[in-house]
Amino acid sequence: MPDPRSDDPTPAWLEALYQQRPAIDLSPLDLCFLVSLQRRAQEQNLAAFAEQQLLDTFAAVCALVAPETEQVAARATHSLRRLREQRLLVRVDGAGLSRAGEFALSRLGSSVADFYVEEEALSPDNLELLAHSLLGSLNEVLARAQRAKRPQDWQAAVIGPLRITAGDLILGIERRQRGLDIRQEGFQREISHWLETDWFGAIDRCRELLDGTAGTLRQLHELLLRYTHQFQNVLQDILELSCTAEQAVAEGVVHRVMGQIDRIAAWGAARHVAWSEYYDHVHRYLRDVVRLDPERALSQRLRDQLSGHGDAPFSLTVADAPALRVLRTVVPVPPPAPVRRPRGERKPTLEEAPALVADPLGERVRELLSDEHASGSLGLSELTARATADLPPEQQFASAGKVAELAARLTTPELARQRPWVAVRDGLVIEDWQLGRSPGGGS
Amino acid sequence: MSEPFQQIGDVVTDESFPGVDLALRRGRHIHKGDERWYAFLFDAQPLLEQFYARYGYELIHRSDGYFFLLPAHEALGKRQLSVAEMIVGQGLALAYLEPSRLEKGGLLTREELLNQLASAMGTDTLLRALAPQKKRPDERVAQRNARNKVAEALRRLEQLGFVELLDGEQLRLAPSLLRFAEPVRGLEAPSEALRQLLERGEVSLGSDEEERGEVEGGAEAEFDADVAAGAGAEAEAEAELDADVAADADGPGVGAGTEAEAELAIGGDARPLYDGSDLDFFEEPSGSPEADEA
Repeated sequence: MPDPRSDDPTPAWLEALYQQRPAIDLSPLDLCFLVSLQRRAQEQNLAAFAEQQLLDTFAAVCALVAPETEQVAARATHSLRRLREQRLLVRVDGAGLSRAGEFALSRLGSSVADFYVEEEALSPDNLELLAHSLLGSLNEVLARAQRAKRPQDWQAAVIGPLRITAGDLILGIERRQRGLDIRQEGFQREISHWLETDWFGAIDRCRELLDGTAGTLRQLHELLLRYTHQFQNVLQDILELSCTAEQAVAEGVVHRVMGQIDRIAAWGAARHVAWSEYYDHVHRYLRDVVRLDPERALSQRLRDQLSGHGDAPFSLTVADAPALRVLRTVVPVPPPAPVRRPRGERKPTLEEAPALVADPLGERVRELLSDEHASGSLGLSELTARATADLPPEQQFASAGKVAELAARLTTPELARQRPWVAVRDGLVIEDWQLGRSPGGGS
Repeated sequence: MSEPFQQIGDVVTDESFPGVDLALRRGRHIHKGDERWYAFLFDAQPLLEQFYARYGYELIHRSDGYFFLLPAHEALGKRQLSVAEMIVGQGLALAYLEPSRLEKGGLLTREELLNQLASAMGTDTLLRALAPQKKRPDERVAQRNARNKVAEALRRLEQLGFVELLDGEQLRLAPSLLRFAEPVRGLEAPSEALRQLLERGEVSLGSDEEERGEVEGGAEAEFDADVAAGAGAEAEAEAELDADVAADADGPGVGAGTEAEAELAIGGDARPLYDGSDLDFFEEPSGSPEADEA
């Protein structure tokens, strides 16, 4: 999960790129057209193509690789549209639709064409040349850094050359490294193909290719090691100068170049090891399999053996010594307890727990009834008023019903033809009863 | 390459000896890929040949670049590879001989192995050989059983030093696989070569499974378990458990240091059991066999 506070602009770039929904979709004919434009521009030193030149080039490509193509002009129009939509071909005259335009390959189009055509792989010769140029450039930057006084001097003498000159040279080395990677893949396919087609006769060619590539990689690795050491020394000096001069931008650029140098050196070591493993594997195969079976009969005989395994089954014998056993002290598990009938009642006797209910209103009503009956008769309204006097207003209405219920249960209300409605207090009016003696009152 | 040894005492006190000794006795083939162990065996070969001869083992070194121990008589622990192990081993050996394997540095995927076996033997023959059934043949159940058998065989062959199971689908083939091609390597007829190998005790006719009559019974039981309870994975786990109980019962614990070291050296049981769910050769079952059976 990228840190949103990070200064790295890559996530934002990726999001914007995804939003644009870019895609590259090229047919083989489009690719050939692209490559043809690139070659023609290089050979004839053309900075741009007129529309007629584009159409002529497309027709020439069709005639060469797909002579059965019909409606060449219409196909050329569609191909040009696709290339422009995918920004492989751009209009460079800026005149809009008012007149026929001029077109040139974009950087993307040029790179695609280079990938398919240019066979530029890293070799000891071009690495020596590039590394020597890079070292000279870095030494020059160091000399300028020693003379730099003002920030403008650092920008012109250190930051710019490191970003552009050194950066381009390093990218040139990396591009050729990728070229060599592709070439090595091709070598591996080639070795397999030679053995498939020629078997025993391919041994010498395979060994030659293996030894040649191994030698090239070893030379590249040694060159990279030697030059990397020198690059890092010069860059370290530039870094110290920029630290002393407190040029933070220059420091950042130097660190970046040092990282690129490390990456180049790591490539050399990694490829050298990988090819060494492949080299050993193929040599073992040539020695153990190909040389011992010049007629390539073993595969077929083994295939026959496998297909007829059910008819004549056999099995390899292998050692299978039991594991060493070391006796150890064993603590015996105690025997389980004997099964017995449980003693006593299985089901415990249930007891009724006394209800502990606090009912202050009920107690207050009982208390008032006993006091009032001793002194005389009492009305329900008066009983309600006195019993609920201490209650909060919101409970008084609900409590009035409970008081009436308790009064009816504890006393005998006297029946009267007229039972008047009496206000107990504001907002509470009840039908008044005259309460008689309580059944258990005794008075 | 270390200095050649002068006495057997020097060999035994070498730090590689315990691991190599235990691995060889457990049937492992030590090849050039096991760089340090192979170099040790190469240097100590004359002394170790005498050493193991006293136990009744023969230390064999093949020019293809691997060592193994061959038990000379019945008193010593030995076993025959199962039918599945033999079939898978021969399929791997066939792949080892293919020049196209060079492009990938001797690596093979499980799917390529299964396709190789199916093309060499035919799908029906392969299924019958790996998962024979007496009754109620169901192709998808048979395929799943066959895939499980192949996965189990690969795991065992890895313990024996014939193949290395890498992360994911990849397998790294070892030169010791050429032992599976021994009967057809010479100029004589395969039957004659097989007779000589039989005399030397390097191979036997049939397998331990057949001697125990486990091929039919085991497969039928597994088939029934699959159909009735859909317990393929459990059946496989039980089979693994049965096979490993003897070896793993002691486990690392008090007094088990040597064994634990052996397990570590062989590196067999640390890996989780491969469930074979991604072996989609022939035709991947679209639904569950249990549902179809129902």
